[in-house]
Amino acid sequence: MEISIIAEKLFSIAGFSVTNSLLIAVFVAVLLALSTVFSTRNPKQVPRGMQNVIETVFEGLLSFIESITHDRKQARDFFPLVATIFLFVLFSNWSGLLPGAGTVGLNEEHAGRIIMVPFLRGPAADLNMTVALSLISVFSVQIFGILALGIRGYASKFLVAPWKKPYVIGMVVGLLELIGEFAKILSFSFRLFGNVFAGEVLLTVMLSLVPYLVPLPFLLLEVFVGVVQAAVFSLLTIVFLKMAVTGHEEGAH
Amino acid sequence: MEILTQIGIDGKLLLAQAVNFLVLLFILHRFAYKPMLVFLEKRTERIEEGLKNAEEAGRRLQEASKGEERILATAREEAKKIVTETREASERRGQELVAEFERKAERIIEEARERAKEEREKMFREAKGEIADLVIATTEKVLRERLDGDADRGKVTRFLEKE
Repeated sequence: MEISIIAEKLFSIAGFSVTNSLLIAVFVAVLLALSTVFSTRNPKQVPRGMQNVIETVFEGLLSFIESITHDRKQARDFFPLVATIFLFVLFSNWSGLLPGAGTVGLNEEHAGRIIMVPFLRGPAADLNMTVALSLISVFSVQIFGILALGIRGYASKFLVAPWKKPYVIGMVVGLLELIGEFAKILSFSFRLFGNVFAGEVLLTVMLSLVPYLVPLPFLLLEVFVGVVQAAVFSLLTIVFLKMAVTGHEEGAH
Repeated sequence: MEILTQIGIDGKLLLAQAVNFLVLLFILHRFAYKPMLVFLEKRTERIEEGLKNAEEAGRRLQEASKGEERILATAREEAKKIVTETREASERRGQELVAEFERKAERIIEEARERAKEEREKMFREAKGEIADLVIATTEKVLRERLDGDADRGKVTRFLEKE
C-alpha cells in the first residue's frame, strides 16, 4: 500500500498532464454549476424541489455572512466568493469519499516500483487545489480591501511610518501584518490539505485493515470533517474580508 | 523551490485548479447567485408587503366592526327613545282627548240644562199669560153677569188698582 502526497497523473492532453485530483475538481465544478444553474433557472414564487434546497443554502450562507459582517451590503458583496468556496470545498471533500476514491486504479511502474494509481482522488487532497484556492481567497481579500479603503488607506495598514504615533511599534506591527497576509496562504492551504489528506489516508488504512463495517464510523467522521473544513475555509475568508474592508479608525473603537 | 515540487506543487496544475475555480465562481455568480439573490430579495419584499397589507386590512376590519357596533348601539338607543316618546305622546294625547270630550260633554249637558230651564220658564211665562187671559175672560164673563152693584164696582176698582 502506497499513499502518495502528490496527485497521480492519469493522462496528458497536448503535453499537459492531467492528475486524478484535477479531473475530479473539474467534475465537481461542472456538476455543481449545472445543478445550481438549472435549479435556479426559473425561480417560482412558491419554491418546489431543488429550488427549496438552493434557497435554503443561499439564504443560510447569506445570513451567516451577515452575522459576521453586520452589514447587508458587504454580505452581498462577499457572497459570491464565500458561497463558491463553501460549495466547491464541500463537494470536493465529499467527492473524495466516494467508493473507489484512492483505492480503485491501475498499477503502474514508476522508477522501478509498481504503484497503484487511483482514478479518484479528492481535489483537496492535492496541494495544487488548496494553494490555488488560498491564493484566490487571499488575493480577493487584498482587492476588497483596496476597493473599500483605497490604495493609500489599505497600504497604511501595513506600511506605518515610524515617526507617527505608536512609532516603531506601529511600523513593526504593520510589517507583521504584511507577513501575516502571506502566512494566510500557507495556513489556508495546509489546513485544508492536511485534513482532507489525513482523512483519505485514514480511510484507506482502515479499509485495508478491516474491509467491512469498521471504516463506517470513520467515513461518517470524514463526511463531517468535509463540512467543517468547507465552513472553516469560508468563515476565515469572511473574517479576513471583513478585516480588510475595515479601516484603522473604524477598527480602533 | 525543490520542496515545492516534492510536495507536488506544479505551476500548470495550480493554474488549472485556479481557472477551474474561477470559472465555477463566474458561472455561479452570473447564472445562480445574482438572479437568485435578486429574486429572494424581491420575494422578501413582497412577503413583507403582503403581511403589512394583511395587518392593515385586519385593523380596518376591526375598526369597521367597532364602528358598526357603535352605529347599531346608537340606532337601537334612538329607536327605543322614539318608541318611548311616541308612547308618552300618545298617552298624553289620549288623556287630553278624554279631558276635552269630558269638557265638551259637560258643556253640552250644561247647555241642555239651561235651555230646558229657559224653555220651562218661557212655558211658565206663556202659561201665566194664558192663565191671566183666561182668568180675565172668565172674570169678564162673571162680571158681565154680576157687575151691577156699587159694591161690586168698588171691589173691581180696588182689584184693578191693586193690579
